[in-house]
Formats: sequence, C-alpha cells, structure tokens
Amino acid sequence: MNVTLADIHRSFGKNNAVDGVDLQLGAGVFGLLGPNGAGKTSLLRMLATVLPPSGGEIRLLERDPRRPAARREIRRRLGYLPQNLGYYPSFTVVEFIEYFALLKEMPSAAVPRAVAAAVERVDLGAKAKAKLRTLSGGMLRRVGIAQAIVNDPELLLLDEPTAGLDPEQRVQFRSLMRSLGEGATVVVSTHLVEDVGAACSEVALMSAGKIVFRGTPDELTARGEGHGIGDAPLERGYSAVLSAARS
Amino acid sequence: MSVLSVPPARLAPSRLTLPRWARALGLELKRNAVPYLLPLLAAVFYFDTIRTADGTPPVWTVRASVIDNDMLVEFSVFAAGLAAWAGSREGRRKTLDLVATTPRAVWARLSVALAGTLCWMLLAFIAGVAVLYIRTALQATWGGPPLWPVFVGVAEVTVVTVIGFTTGVLFPGRFTAPLAAIGVAALNMIGFREALGLTASSSTYALLSPSRGAPLIDSGVFSPVAPDVSIVQVMFMGGIAVALFGVLGLAPGLRQLASAGGLGSLRAVFADGDGWLPRAAAVILVACGGAAAATAFTLAGTAQPDPLAGTTTGGTVLGWTIPALHSAASDQPLPVLHDCTSGSGRQGTAGSGFQAVSGAGFQACVHPAFAFDLDAVAAALDPVGAEIAGLPGAPVRAEQVASTRGGVLAGSGISGNPPVFTYTAEQVGNMYGAFQGDPDTATSRAGFQQGLLNAFLTGPSRQAGPGPGGALDAAQQAVENGLMTAAGSPSLGTFTGMNMDGKVVTPATATAVSAAARRFAALPASARHAWLAAHLAALRAGSITLAQLP
Repeated sequence: MNVTLADIHRSFGKNNAVDGVDLQLGAGVFGLLGPNGAGKTSLLRMLATVLPPSGGEIRLLERDPRRPAARREIRRRLGYLPQNLGYYPSFTVVEFIEYFALLKEMPSAAVPRAVAAAVERVDLGAKAKAKLRTLSGGMLRRVGIAQAIVNDPELLLLDEPTAGLDPEQRVQFRSLMRSLGEGATVVVSTHLVEDVGAACSEVALMSAGKIVFRGTPDELTARGEGHGIGDAPLERGYSAVLSAARS
Repeated sequence: MSVLSVPPARLAPSRLTLPRWARALGLELKRNAVPYLLPLLAAVFYFDTIRTADGTPPVWTVRASVIDNDMLVEFSVFAAGLAAWAGSREGRRKTLDLVATTPRAVWARLSVALAGTLCWMLLAFIAGVAVLYIRTALQATWGGPPLWPVFVGVAEVTVVTVIGFTTGVLFPGRFTAPLAAIGVAALNMIGFREALGLTASSSTYALLSPSRGAPLIDSGVFSPVAPDVSIVQVMFMGGIAVALFGVLGLAPGLRQLASAGGLGSLRAVFADGDGWLPRAAAVILVACGGAAAATAFTLAGTAQPDPLAGTTTGGTVLGWTIPALHSAASDQPLPVLHDCTSGSGRQGTAGSGFQAVSGAGFQACVHPAFAFDLDAVAAALDPVGAEIAGLPGAPVRAEQVASTRGGVLAGSGISGNPPVFTYTAEQVGNMYGAFQGDPDTATSRAGFQQGLLNAFLTGPSRQAGPGPGGALDAAQQAVENGLMTAAGSPSLGTFTGMNMDGKVVTPATATAVSAAARRFAALPASARHAWLAAHLAALRAGSITLAQLP
C-alpha cells in the first residue's frame, strides 16, 4: 500500500477538519469528492507531508513521514499540485519545472530530459520558453501539473487539477491521470464529478472531515438511483450520499 | 497534440551537467531582481559616489573613505530591499506548500536563493569599487588602494543582504522590501550621525557603523591608518550575518512563531525542519555569530582616541584604536620622501626625496601623495618667496607636514635654520582648496600666500594662523597686502571687526591699510626689499605704524 491512514485527525483550533479517516490506497487513480470545507484539502496536505496530523498514524510509500529521513525519501517520490498554485512570474515554463525538479533532488543529468518530457505531457511545448506571467490560468494549471509529475512520482496528489482547463484539456488530462495511475497512486481532489467518473478507479466522499462513502464510481452512481438530485448519474449518487450523511 | 502522444525524442538540448546546487544557483541568478535595478544603482553610484570622489584629491585613503560614507549607504539600501524581495518570494507568491513538499532542505533552498541576491550585490559592489579605484589609480601619485574599506564594505553588503533576506522569509509581504530598505537607510543615517560626533568621552559603540565623517585630507599619508576599527566592524557585521544565516535554518518553525506568536509556538522552532543535524548546526551558527558580534561590540566599547589621528578643535576624535587589536607597527610614521621644486623649476619626481637647493631659489615641497598639486603650490609660493628672499627669517623652502601633531591639528609656521615654512594639507589646503582638487583660483592661491606671509611677518615668536583675519597689526597687514599685490595676487582684503588678539579693526583703519598697501606695492622691488631689511624687526615687534610705511 502506498498510502495507509489510520484514524487520522487534524484540527485547527476547535474545528476538526479531518476527523478519524482510515484509508489504504495502492496504485490507481483515487478520487476525493466532497463539498467545500469537507476536509479534502487538509487531508491532501497531510498526505503531502506539509501538514502534520493532530492524531492517528500515517504511512506513505511504506515510510513514516514523521521521521525526517523517511519524510525526505517520501518527498523525493511525491508529486503535489496545490489548490492555489503559487508561481514565480519571471520564470519561464521550463525554468519553473526545472526548479522543482532540482528541489525534488532528481539526478542533475536527468533533469533536462525529465523537464522536457513533463512539458510535453501537459502540451506546453510551444510555450516552453514563455514567462509564467504571460500564461493564461489554464496554462498555469498545466505548468502546475508538469511540476508535479516531473519526478515521475509514486504518489501524486492533485488538488482541483482540472480547474481552469478547457474541455479538450480536461479530456487530455483525464487520459494523463489514467496513464499515471497505472504505476502510481494518484489522489485527485475535485468538485467535478465527471472527472471522477472518467478517470478514477475508486472514489471517496468526504463530509465534515469524515469519509462517508468509499467505492467505485459505479457504486456511487448506484447510490443515487431514485434518490439524489443532479444532472448526471454520478452527481445524483454524490448528492444522495451527502444527504444521507447529513441526516 | 494529445498528452499521450508525446514524442519522447522532443527533448531539451543536452547541457553540461552541473551539480544541482549550481543549476539552482544559475536559475536564481538568471531570474533575480537585482539586474533589473542595476541601472538605477549605477546612476545613484555615479551621481553620489563618483562625483563625491571626484571632489576629493586623489589620495587613496581619502578616496577610499567614499566607500564607507557614500557607496555603502547606496548599496546597503538596495541590497536590503532586493534581498527582502527575494526572501519574501515564497510567502508572497504562495509557494510555501509547494516547496515544502520537496525533499530539498529548507536551509539549502533558502541558501541558494540568498546566494543569488548576494552574488549580484557583491559583484555590483566590487565592480563599483573597481571603478572608484581605477579612476583613483589613474590620478594618484603615491600609495596604493586600501583594502580594509573594501573588506568592511563586503561585510556590510553581506550583512544587510542577509538581514533583508531573513526579514523577507519571516515576514513575507509586498511592503517588506521597501520597509527593509528604509530601515537600513535609517540605520545608516543614525550610525553616521553617532559616529560623526564621537569625542574622547563618548561611548564608542557608534564605531561599529562603517559610516563616519570625511577623514583628514592627508589621512594615511604620513602614518598608516590603523585597521583596528575596521576589524571590529567586519567582526560585528560578519557575526550578525552568520547568526542570521543560522536563523534561516530554523525558518520553518520561526515562520510559525512569527505568524502564531506566543512562547507556546517556540516549540515549533525546534520541532519542524529537516532533522536534528541541520537544526543543531543552525543553533551553533546562531550562537557563534552572536558571540562574534557581542565580542566586537565589547571591543568597540574599549576604543581609545588614536594620538596619530588627532582631534578637531571641537573635540571630535579623528581616529581610534582598539587596544586589544592594536599593532604597534601601525604607529610608526611612514617614511616621507617629499617631491620638491625650486624657483627655477621642478627638481624632483614623486618619491625621489629632497633635492639640494643651490642658489636663492625658493623650494616648494609636497608629500608625493600630493604631487599632483606641486606645480600649483610652487606657483602660489614662489612669487612671495622671491619678495622676501634673503630677509631674516624668510623661508628657503615650504614643506608639507602631517596635519596632526601630538594628537591635535597642527598649524602652519616658519621654523628651523635655514627657515622652513611648514604647512599642512588640512590647515592650508583644506581652507583654501589648494588640495581639494579645486581649480587654482586666485583666492585659494592668495590664501596660501597669506599663510606664508602671516608666519613671516609675525616672526617665529608669535605666529598667527593662516587666513584672512590673522592677528596682524595694521602695518603688518598693509605690508602683507602690498607684497601680495606686488606678487601679482589680489589682496584678500583687510579684516574688520575683532581680530584674533581681541583688537577691533575699524573700517577706517581698513581703508588706511589699503592705501598704505597700495603705496608699498607701488615701490620698486628693490626698495620694498631694502625697507623690509631695515624695518623687519620693528615691524614684527609691532612698533611700525601705517604712517611710517613708505
């Protein structure tokens, strides 16, 4: 298992953002759904080793992230795209991705090839030398994805990765996620249930810091038959599970 | 193109494989903000530092003082602001989470970013010093470039860069950079003001500030400048830089401390980070840097006035020694090999030493550091020297001496046998501009002549200071004015009011002096000379009246 969470808690003052989450994830694309404030981003930040849990046990890539040496090793094999991507406007696309490749301690000789591959995988080859300040929001999102995958991560954490992408790019990105999920654990936090339906082999739904559903997209769809509200079957399943959790 | 149909061969061109840190430093240098502001810094450097330096004589120590007093203020303000901008980048650009997920240690990551700004600022500083020193080398006639001001400058640029960067890391925001720049400018101004008025009874901690007043114009010429204060400054600033660099190693926890506040968060300082070893190294650096700075602070408190440097009449000490660091070697006067001329023309070259004088030619000698002004000095003194040549007490030579003697500013005067007119760059040149790089104006020239004639006319027992308003009586003043007119110089006029002896010179007396001076100047040279030979003793004694003048 690449991710093992046991009774994970995280609180900010009196607010329990994550409240007793248990999760085991192997290779594949794992969708994390939930309304705003459900605790998705906090859970992702704990998986990304930037936010220590208030309680519970985490093991990532068979290592304990509380130990500095293990945490460093995990981070070498980690890719992370935060919800709000910060970037340096004066860097070019290639420079920004190279910068993160270096921070991820990739072998120096492998960096140019890896950067070029990452740029091409997100279809930004034509903008490789453009300054980030000149890019649109969708392009910046793709830059963020490129920096996350530049080190060919074993654990890839994507927070709203398709926000700002146009429909064609979203379709392409789902293909990318599927291909990455063949050998790695990809955790995708999103509001867009169609992304989950198209790319994820498994999905979890969070509400009030707890996982209230875990199963395949088809199982989530089945929960909505005759109950939930929404235009798409998966949306109806999503709303039905949430309604049940709140009631 | 589909993301799945990527041609793997479409890759970046192969590059020389550099270590990771070197590639990261390359990126930081390439995308640093400093180059964008270099033109502005260069303009400020030219209009302040270079123009100030051009207004001083090409004497190495004097020119080098511009580094501490002008150049460092400019560079430190830019360095602090730009470093704060670089340090606040992760916070401003909200990349903290993103970079925190990378295995690169925070300290290593921040060090490379700091090094990018520091390299640019030090390069700019060294380039500025090179410009200043090359210009000086092309004009200077003696000595070589002092290195201690450069070391102090490097230390200050380094420490303000580290201060700015650390401030940016801990308090990221768009206003951090301008506030850091303003803060460093204020520190410089406060330090400058405090150092400027240091007296023997002051507490001497202001010596830790590199900024100070302009040195004596012949500083480092007759005796070496003791490096004691510079050593303490480098130790102090270096210590702070090392300590703050250690603070950067504790940055993740300190960020939490800064944002959360309260001692309860202090635990985070030691809990976060990249393992115990970097944190321990950071703590050791903080301790060592703090100890070095504290030691320097203590040493500065023990500073004592340097008797070789002297004290102004206002009590401001012009140089300091630190007993614990002082070397007796720096108390030894430097060998003086004057550059001299005679009335018949230039006899020596810089560093060639005294030339024997034969005949009645009046010889002007300057320290070789001031050889650029030798001709101007000779042109000023030769005519009046010729007017009084052969008279009792008339100097056969004018010789530049150190501006301070026994810890106080020295005056000019005539002494020795044969009589020699001794003058200092500070007393004569500074007052009249002869050594200030000013053009050889009639006024500065006349002032210099007046300095010699004052000493001659008052005699060895009662020499007055140079300049208008010296304590000459009316007859002496008239003779001096007449001699200067005869020598082709304009009289500086007759002082009215209370003179140095407490006597009041009325406008009516001044008019009478002018009339007598005109009469005296109109005499043939031989008649003036003969009258002076006959009446010089009485004139010096003050027993000659205006009416008795021919």
